[in-house]
Amino acid sequence: MSKQADLSVEFLGFKMKNPFMLSSSPVSNSAEMVGRAFDAGWGGVAYKTVVSDRIPIIHPSPRMAAYRPAGKRQLGVQNVEQTSDRGLKANLLDIMYLKKRWPDHLVMASIMGFSNQEWADLAKACVDAGADMLEVNVSCPHMTVEGSGAKVGQCQELVQKFTETVRNSCKIPIVAKMTPNITDITVPAMYAKKGGADGIAAINSVAGLSGIGADDWVPSPNVFGKGAACGFTGPAIKPIGLRCISELAKCHDLQLPLSGIGGIETWVDALEYLLVGATTIQVTTGIIHYGQGIVENMIEGLSDYMTIKGVKSLKELIGKALPNVHATHDFDLARQGIARYDLDRCVGCGQCYVVCRDAGGWALDWDAKKRRPALDEKKCLSCMVCSFACPVDGLITFKEMPKSYRRAETVTLGKELETQRRS
Amino acid sequence: MPKAPAPFASMKKGFDYGQAVAEAQRCLLCHDAPCSKGCPGGTDPATFIRKLRFQNLTGAVRTIKQNNILGGSCGELCPTPQLCEKECSAAGLDRPIQIGKIQRFLVEHAWATGFNPLEKGSARKEKIAVVGSGPAGLSCAAELAKAGFGVTVFEARARAGGVLRYGVPSYRFSPDFIDRELKDLAPLGVKIQCSKPIRGKGAVESLLKKGFAAVFLAPGCWEPLRLKVKAKVRQGVFAWTDFLTPLKEGRFAAIGKQLKGRRVAIIGGGSVAMDCAESAIKLGAKDVYLVYRRSYNEMPAEEDEKQDALRQGMHLLLLNQPVDYSTDAKGRLKAIRLVRTELSKPDASGRRKPVEIPGSNWELPIDVAIEAIGAQPARDSIEWSRSMKLSDGNLITVNPDTGETSVKRVFAGGDIVRGPALIIEAVRDGKTAAQAIMKRFAKKENAHE
Ligand SMILES: Cc1cc2nc3c(=O)[nH]c(=O)nc-3n(C[C@H](O)[C@H](O)[C@H](O)COP(=O)(O)OP(=O)(O)OC[C@H]3O[C@@H](n4cnc5c(N)ncnc54)[C@H](O)[C@@H]3O)c2cc1C
Ligand SMILES: Cc1cc2nc3c(=O)[nH]c(=O)nc-3n(C[C@H](O)[C@H](O)[C@H](O)COP(=O)(O)O)c2cc1C
Ligand code: SF4
Ligand code: SF4
Ligand code: SF4
Repeated sequence: MSKQADLSVEFLGFKMKNPFMLSSSPVSNSAEMVGRAFDAGWGGVAYKTVVSDRIPIIHPSPRMAAYRPAGKRQLGVQNVEQTSDRGLKANLLDIMYLKKRWPDHLVMASIMGFSNQEWADLAKACVDAGADMLEVNVSCPHMTVEGSGAKVGQCQELVQKFTETVRNSCKIPIVAKMTPNITDITVPAMYAKKGGADGIAAINSVAGLSGIGADDWVPSPNVFGKGAACGFTGPAIKPIGLRCISELAKCHDLQLPLSGIGGIETWVDALEYLLVGATTIQVTTGIIHYGQGIVENMIEGLSDYMTIKGVKSLKELIGKALPNVHATHDFDLARQGIARYDLDRCVGCGQCYVVCRDAGGWALDWDAKKRRPALDEKKCLSCMVCSFACPVDGLITFKEMPKSYRRAETVTLGKELETQRRS
Repeated sequence: MPKAPAPFASMKKGFDYGQAVAEAQRCLLCHDAPCSKGCPGGTDPATFIRKLRFQNLTGAVRTIKQNNILGGSCGELCPTPQLCEKECSAAGLDRPIQIGKIQRFLVEHAWATGFNPLEKGSARKEKIAVVGSGPAGLSCAAELAKAGFGVTVFEARARAGGVLRYGVPSYRFSPDFIDRELKDLAPLGVKIQCSKPIRGKGAVESLLKKGFAAVFLAPGCWEPLRLKVKAKVRQGVFAWTDFLTPLKEGRFAAIGKQLKGRRVAIIGGGSVAMDCAESAIKLGAKDVYLVYRRSYNEMPAEEDEKQDALRQGMHLLLLNQPVDYSTDAKGRLKAIRLVRTELSKPDASGRRKPVEIPGSNWELPIDVAIEAIGAQPARDSIEWSRSMKLSDGNLITVNPDTGETSVKRVFAGGDIVRGPALIIEAVRDGKTAAQAIMKRFAKKENAHE
């Protein structure tokens, strides 16, 4: 099995060799970087957000900080990077060069206007430079230029207005990039559609505070004694991104092609985005963490998956999981199960006991001599917290119980509890 | 085949998924990775560990299997502290990544999930003959089959695998494991003809005459070196080949009966001697002495092998040179005659040379002696070709870049070229020769156009 599966996909009329794109960020900051990424296997780019030269962009310094809860690495990045700080001409030349040299690769120019007129001018300029489509950036959560970025994205009328301006300035497809920092992401998406957007990209970074200095009480990144709520990205935000894409895909009135973004580093992440409705995949933090080379494993991994599953075209996968994404009131509550322990593999750490006692159903007994847990099936809540704590892969799994199974009620404080405690 | 007794049926368990992922998590994903340069066979650990890190398990298996047809066996048997792991950057922080264990896990994972990346290349007309189905022969055969050549492997013994089948003791490497690894070869369509030794004068040339476009010789080194002694011993002295090989053939009872409750001396300080010592202990020998003429640090065996054997209860008798045996009237071994040595200046091997101490002769009473002091090419191998250039010890001389011998279209690799070496080096040689053969015939095809 060595032949590569067909990963090609069509996005807003553009046929890409695979769905993998650099997202608009430092990883797509110049033609040199993007070109190398194309050679490494990426199918397209959302080029770093281009702005006019009217308001000079200066990035705060330092720009980023790593999110390292309890020393764990590469989980997320906190950033205050602005739109491109390069001159408009330099960016347009780079876009032009990319399209000349790699005509088969999707070049989507991300733009951000600081006035209605600027949106129109930038759109025209990028079309002239040869961009295949435009990404309307109304979603950066930490712009230093007042009234831009996510501020726009959170105001539906403005989303519609600026999209309309762009729509009226060019004929190429427009993708509106959404902020997740809002209650219901389908609302601004619908306004973007009304304004003429052909597709939706989501998500831009999640506004967050990922660390506060214990000694100086300054949030990170620490910009000379000041911090700010700003863009949080990477694997830690993937659940939010997936949820947003699934909501956009399920939105009955929207029905636009989607570009999935947020925490994608492996082919499995990418597959999940496809399954909830994304047609293309965009990546930033994965590259910040490991470099462009991650695309090789995305391609090989997804290709092998398709071959093994007998999936002929990527299109077959898009939205495949949506019928399984339900409202919680659809669940069949008559079916119940418990945790199943494969104790032959137990190493006797007792973590299951601790968390079941303190966060679960107190369904475990601890045999101190044998150093083994013993499950009282009647008390197991099937919360599964024990399985999160267990260090042995797959030792604790979920199993369904017969219909006759009845869970014991949680004991009430008082006599009953006292007797139990003594026994 | 009879079932191995418990002490021999206990090949160590490999990593499970969780352990492999946790270990891969420690990998620094080095740029220009030194571990990959440290693998003599080009298995490319940095790439397969990286693939595992990014959840591309099929790709990781593909990397291993395309580069090393015996990736699972090597993962278990390579002396990694001397190879890939020796170069690992993670040692700069703490300790090397356990590359061999990750490698074995990935191959076993592929077996468990039924994934095999190997495919036969589109068929070409040239047929290639491979002599010997050890690591070198199998590696060459697989590489050529992937490129579409028709390959026939001639194997002298009843089953394929070379030392992996008939040498490495079962408690280190179970017969099931090599069976399973060989099964991966099936899609390549390599024909392995067992019990088909090549022998006799000009056997190599006659293979060419039969129409094989090229020949790869990989018969290994199976003629044991022996102690030069005066005593005529009729019973009680084994060469390592007469001891380890029968055990791999399942003849535990026949061999065990001669060792159980006895005093055994193993002669030698290399890996094979350690295998003999541990096997003797597992067969129930009362006392197992390892007799070696230099000191602990000069022993060629790997540190973990030495430690393992010591933990099992082997006695170390260092700085003693065996000079002769003594027997009872019926020619049964009674004792080994030794002379104590001391170390002087380094010799050609860079290790300090042992010199006998005059007058320090003594006898160690033993019932069995197992000689594990080396191996050389089979005696008859010199007549296989009329003109092939051989080195002093009758090893075959090759061009190191191509593996080609002095006879055109005849290549060789593995222990028959290097003398007793490593599995991964044999795998390397098989690939080198295969690549040279492919290049040779690629040129030919172009020339015809
Ligand atoms: C006991 C023992 C333990 C070892 N343990 C390790 C270890 O843990 N790790 C490691 O890296 N290395 C180990 N080695 C070394 C390693 O096994 C060898 O270097 C390697 O097997 C050499 O491969 P090869 O293909 O050249 O030869 P072999 O493995 O010896 O294979 C040669 C094959 O050719 C066949 N053959 C011989 N003559 C003929 C003929 N005339 N016609 C047809 N076929 C013929 C033989 O039957 C055999 O099957 C060990 C060696 C021994 C002896
Ligand atoms: C340092 C940095 C700079 C970014 N700059 C931009 C930008 O200029 N325009 C934009 O639309 N998104 C920008 N983003 C958001 C990313 O394009 C992407 O939406 C977000 O990082 C989530 O994806 P990820 O988890 O793969 O990083 C930036 C992200 C980071 C980390
Ligand atoms: S957490 Fe897992 S390994 Fe630890 S005691 Fe419980 S079952 Fe055993
Ligand atoms: S040298 Fe070690 S840390 Fe670096 S890539 Fe290889 S295994 Fe990983
Ligand atoms: S084949 Fe052996 S030396 Fe090479 S990477 Fe694997 S374990 Fe290390």
